[in-house]
Amino acid sequence: MKFGFFLPPRKWLVPVIIAMGVFTGLVLLILHIGKAGSYLSDNPETCINCHVMFPQYSSWQHSSHGRFTVCNDCHVPHNNIVNKFLFKAMDGLRHSTIFTLRLEPQVIHIKKAGQEVVNENCERCHENQIMMMELYRNQEEEEENELLCWECHRENPHGRVSSLSSFPYQQVPKLSPIIPEWLK
Amino acid sequence: MKKISDTIKERPWLGWVLYLVTIILVFLVGLFGSSILERRSESNILVQTVKPINDPEPRNDIWGENYPREFETYLQTKDTNFASKHAGSHTIDMLARYPDLVVMWAGYAFSREYNQSRGHFYAINDIRKTLRTDVPQPATCWTCKSTDVPRMMQKLGAAAFYHTPWNEMGPEIVNPIGCQDCHDPKTLNLRITRPALIEAFQRQGKDITKSTHNEMRSLVCAQCHVEYYFKGKEEKYLTFPWDKGSIVDSIEKYYDETDFTDWVHALSRTPMLKAQHPDYELFQVGIHFQRGLSCADCHMPYKSVGGVKFTDHHVQSPLNNIANSCQVCHRESEAELTKNVYERQDKLFELEGIATNLIVKAHIEAKTAWNNGATEEQMKPILKLIRHAQWRFDFVAASHGGSFHAPLECARIVGTSIQKAEEARLLLSGLLIKLNVKLPVQMPDISTKEKAQKFLGLEMDKLYTSKMQFIKTILPQWDSIALKRQGFLFKYY
Repeated sequence: MKFGFFLPPRKWLVPVIIAMGVFTGLVLLILHIGKAGSYLSDNPETCINCHVMFPQYSSWQHSSHGRFTVCNDCHVPHNNIVNKFLFKAMDGLRHSTIFTLRLEPQVIHIKKAGQEVVNENCERCHENQIMMMELYRNQEEEEENELLCWECHRENPHGRVSSLSSFPYQQVPKLSPIIPEWLK
Repeated sequence: MKKISDTIKERPWLGWVLYLVTIILVFLVGLFGSSILERRSESNILVQTVKPINDPEPRNDIWGENYPREFETYLQTKDTNFASKHAGSHTIDMLARYPDLVVMWAGYAFSREYNQSRGHFYAINDIRKTLRTDVPQPATCWTCKSTDVPRMMQKLGAAAFYHTPWNEMGPEIVNPIGCQDCHDPKTLNLRITRPALIEAFQRQGKDITKSTHNEMRSLVCAQCHVEYYFKGKEEKYLTFPWDKGSIVDSIEKYYDETDFTDWVHALSRTPMLKAQHPDYELFQVGIHFQRGLSCADCHMPYKSVGGVKFTDHHVQSPLNNIANSCQVCHRESEAELTKNVYERQDKLFELEGIATNLIVKAHIEAKTAWNNGATEEQMKPILKLIRHAQWRFDFVAASHGGSFHAPLECARIVGTSIQKAEEARLLLSGLLIKLNVKLPVQMPDISTKEKAQKFLGLEMDKLYTSKMQFIKTILPQWDSIALKRQGFLFKYY
């Protein structure tokens, strides 16, 4: 099938261009109100575009990690940039689908792939503190039985409480308005 | 290969299919857009109040109906059982502990009574009962005591509020520092209700509404926990002296240039300055502020109760809650962390002890010089040194926790206080020799609060009697007027 198949007859060209323009404009508007551009950044406020992440944002902000790390420091891989954005895209698409379909659970748990990434990131920064642990672990335990950092450090950084309703009245930054300043 | 238009010409129903598919597609895109908008708006209605709260609503117990966890922890500021090495949540008679202070504040109401402060819960109770409010005071003194202040300022305007005498405002001010001083009743966002802070920012060309949430978690405290003064002999307008900067030297310069004097010392006739509680100023030059912490991080940490995490509104010394405050970042044991704090406090108290001792001597020697015919001219440089020495000592001593917030800055300040007091005494010795006074000057016995107050000629029995009279007769009147206005009077004692 050639591209020509989709081309309208010459006399329809103008209305079709307009119709396509309307559709593209609509999609751009969706990208704007969905703040699609923000997902390329490392800004922690991006993660609370969806309000189900308010508890995670608040608990992070009140923790010691709140002053020196952002969400992406822990929750996306940092071995190379392709991996980082691939992981971000996969996670992001799943999250947005679930959020749109209102399928978010009352208590959100991290998935296996996410756990591995976070644990690697713990080790990335805290390497010096865990040298002795590493030595011990390699001798005593199989790789698959590996303990995760937060199985002991359980309050770090989000705490053990994580239900959607467990953080009433969180004070988090507001979403930036959709309507530009000059139109108000 | 046929064009799509030709195919449609042959089978017209295909045109209808294309039409419907396009409709469905655009409809879905629109629906998706609405879904995003709807979910966005959900984040704005997270604050759900069972009973809407008015603005202003000074009654903390009304707020408490909506926010029981926050209110319950706020009520815990009632607790007075915590005692640390140098302070805590209970009343300490500071004049009894440090009798030198009586002489340092001679001629000023502080020499009558000066207590270590208790929690926010007691803000009204304690100002009503202190001997310092027996002298005529402006309503400005109420500014930091009550949630009724924003209400009255809305009604009268700030200037008229400050101008009113303290006891005239008494029946209006009954609810201690609480919810609406820091929170907007509609959104629960942090807000600034005291004009003095907003105005201080404006004079420095800063807009306080541009502050981040984390800055606000300190700025709501900075509405009161700062150095301030009452501007104007009549106006008594609450003002923060930060126009030249907020470190001790800049504030001192500001006061010198505006020729401001809190009172004239009864012994040395020095035009004195009284430091209030420059907590925010000292916190700003400490390491915890510089590493991005806010007041609330240590004084109101997160707390979890039954699966819910919320901000602990039991504002208190972090030493009484090391696990939730210090240990969020520091991995040392409670004992070790407490030791680190006490070590800083002990060292500063040692320096402060040296300073008070010297300043008291300077005051008494200055009095001796006056008694032996010293002239204004001769005394002027000496009095300036005494003014600065005591101001600097007081800047640290009056701050809550300054010795922990900024130990290095505090040591520098008390260090310069000692240096200035020594310099004053050096000049005084020269002058006294010139006046043929035998050195050393005889020091009075001020080893206890009672002896020191007697030395100043304070008739404490009379003061206590008249205060008791006030408590027995006037306070019930205030309360009954307030009860009529509010319908219910929560018992804050």
